[in-house]
Amino acid sequence: MRNQPGVARLSNPPGGMSLRQFFQWLSGAAVAMIPLYFIIAIVATLVYASGFQNFGWSFFSTNWNPNPNDPSVAAYGWFDFAVGSAITSAIALALAMVLSLGLAVCIVSFLPPFLSRLAAPVTDMLAGIPSVVYGIWGYVILAPYFSKVIDPWMVGTLGFLPGFNATPTQYAGGVGLILAIFILTIMVVPITTALVRDSLRSIPKELEEAGLALGATRWETMRRVKIPFIQRSIFSAGLLGFGRAIGETVAVFMVIGNEVTLPTSIFGGSTTMATLLVSQMDSAFTYPLLLKALVEIALVLMVISLSVNAIGLRLLGRKTVTGPGGIE
Amino acid sequence: MTNAQTAQGTQDDLSGGTIRRKSSMMSKGAAAGLAIVLLIVGLAGGVVVGKYVLSSSSSGGGSSAVTSITETGSSLIFPAMSLWGPGFSKLYPNVNVTPQSTGSGTGQSSAEAGTVDIGGTDVWLNTTTATQDTLLNFPSAISAQLIFYNLPGVSSSTHLNLNGTVIAMIYSGAITKWNDPLIQAANPGVSLPSNTIVPIHRSDGSGDTGMFSSMCELSWSGWTFGHGTTIQWIASSPSYNGNGGMVTGLSNTQYGIAYIGISYLSQASAAGLGYAALGDNLANSATGGTDAANYVLPTSQNIAYDANLGLQYLAPPSLAVSLILGGDVVGTTNGPTIYPGEGGTNPTVAYPTPYPDVNLEYLLIQEHPKDLSHQKYVVQFLEWILSYGQTSQYLSAVNFLPLTPAIIGYDMNSLQLVSVSN
Repeated sequence: MRNQPGVARLSNPPGGMSLRQFFQWLSGAAVAMIPLYFIIAIVATLVYASGFQNFGWSFFSTNWNPNPNDPSVAAYGWFDFAVGSAITSAIALALAMVLSLGLAVCIVSFLPPFLSRLAAPVTDMLAGIPSVVYGIWGYVILAPYFSKVIDPWMVGTLGFLPGFNATPTQYAGGVGLILAIFILTIMVVPITTALVRDSLRSIPKELEEAGLALGATRWETMRRVKIPFIQRSIFSAGLLGFGRAIGETVAVFMVIGNEVTLPTSIFGGSTTMATLLVSQMDSAFTYPLLLKALVEIALVLMVISLSVNAIGLRLLGRKTVTGPGGIE
Repeated sequence: MTNAQTAQGTQDDLSGGTIRRKSSMMSKGAAAGLAIVLLIVGLAGGVVVGKYVLSSSSSGGGSSAVTSITETGSSLIFPAMSLWGPGFSKLYPNVNVTPQSTGSGTGQSSAEAGTVDIGGTDVWLNTTTATQDTLLNFPSAISAQLIFYNLPGVSSSTHLNLNGTVIAMIYSGAITKWNDPLIQAANPGVSLPSNTIVPIHRSDGSGDTGMFSSMCELSWSGWTFGHGTTIQWIASSPSYNGNGGMVTGLSNTQYGIAYIGISYLSQASAAGLGYAALGDNLANSATGGTDAANYVLPTSQNIAYDANLGLQYLAPPSLAVSLILGGDVVGTTNGPTIYPGEGGTNPTVAYPTPYPDVNLEYLLIQEHPKDLSHQKYVVQFLEWILSYGQTSQYLSAVNFLPLTPAIIGYDMNSLQLVSVSN
């Protein structure tokens, strides 16, 4: 912070500043705040659109009954969808973190240089594939395969575990939580891998050299020195990956089965908060209460995503990188 | 992001980097300047473009300029509209039609807000709202819904006999097996498996769900889920997105049953799915009726017959009507209602049995729009739909059926209500 020229100039405008410099500072500040205006505008207008509708405690229940003919029995509890979001995002993230830690470690330290020069951009490219492509791939190619091969096999071998049992009708279509988790994992891996990889690369060379000089193998150095060194970055990569997963909509929408129920099995269908907004949006235009409920659920989703991302970015920024070895 | 952070962090610690810092300061100033310039150019451009768009739309409707009729709404109406538009423009080259496939809900809300000329919807706008907003429900074609099933061991050329009561019970979980006595009684000679029925529903809000839930509600008093484009379902019912998704989902789900629009008949048949002959509520073994003649297939004749039956309940001037089970006064939701004309109610008259799961595709238009001179093109277009638009050249391609002459008569009358000026 202390030596950063831009920040220093922006934070103390008056001292010996010409009028021109002052306006430069002012317009710079205005431009810099544009993203903030957007966030405020989005939240404010959505809150307005929700009409401050109070659904009471049933809003947090499992009772989803958008029946528009009888407002007295209508209920908009989104607990089922929160569970759907939590299960898909959390498991996908856990899998993605394991995968991306391995990938990043290999790319940075263990692959021959030409392979690592190839692997890094290819991983990044995965992030550039439009999510609808993942969705259609999952729906057209993977879903039949999951229903005929993967799901029966997993139920057969892991069926004794809670949540891993299912009747054939539950996975008949192949779409469901497990496929959504699989697709989400692939979508999150590039992000977490890039973050972990960059932190690994930013570790001062001296640390590694010190480890090796003490007689540790490269693997021991990685495990005992480098990975503990970037713990915080790994955690923030996880948070940012979670933010990506919980907000992902189209691909998940196409493969999750969209069942409005509390999931009983990993092979059954479910709905996430994000996919609910897509599937119910058109109906909501004719049912005002449903529209307000969806707007409020969207706000909840936004708050979750924003806070997860904010914490993740903040941790990433506070990285304890020292020395010139940090630049790649 | 990470790289930028890293670079910044390192800069912090480069105590001797004065020159470098200066140059980065200059480039930062330049970047900020550039950003401001771009912002101003962008804003100015936006204002200019916005002004142009606004002025061109308000001056629209002149005789020399090309007028655009806008339509948004039901994805079921969209294919028909995409054929009707160019067909109309052949006769009226100075008018073009721009349809959008958004959804019935969007069609209704856009028509109410007046942001489009025509809102397409599978479910009529209820009479109260239509009257308040002086909107007209304008039936433009007839469609039907089929009940498909994936039943291994039963040939897809065998049409199971089902009716609204049995279907509502299946979707409520009151009937769970294919060889349930109620189903077996209506299908003598068919060997039904003892497997569990998997009732499949639409996950997205849709007019098909609206039709289907209406049929269930009107057929069986035990139906507790009401009707609407999105409703509550039993937990054991999987769901798929769109009619196409229903076809795929059902073909992947053995012993499943699903409601699918008639437009998808060829796709579903290609996937080896069978569809049911539907009966009215008297053809219900629960009430003692097992007359096989009361179960009918969705032929154009049976569908048109249902539509004509429904006409007697049509509610002018809004033209809102449910054709489910041969018609119901709009807004009536009280249990099963038997209407005169349905097969078997009057044994002395040999009425044919109507196919019960039939719907009108509605176009919503403003009765008293702001721009009266523009509205005359909209009325011209609707008149064209009632005449040329009903020919098989347009409707067969999308599996809609032409309106019956009686409905066309109602439509022509209601068009008289629309304010236009030359």
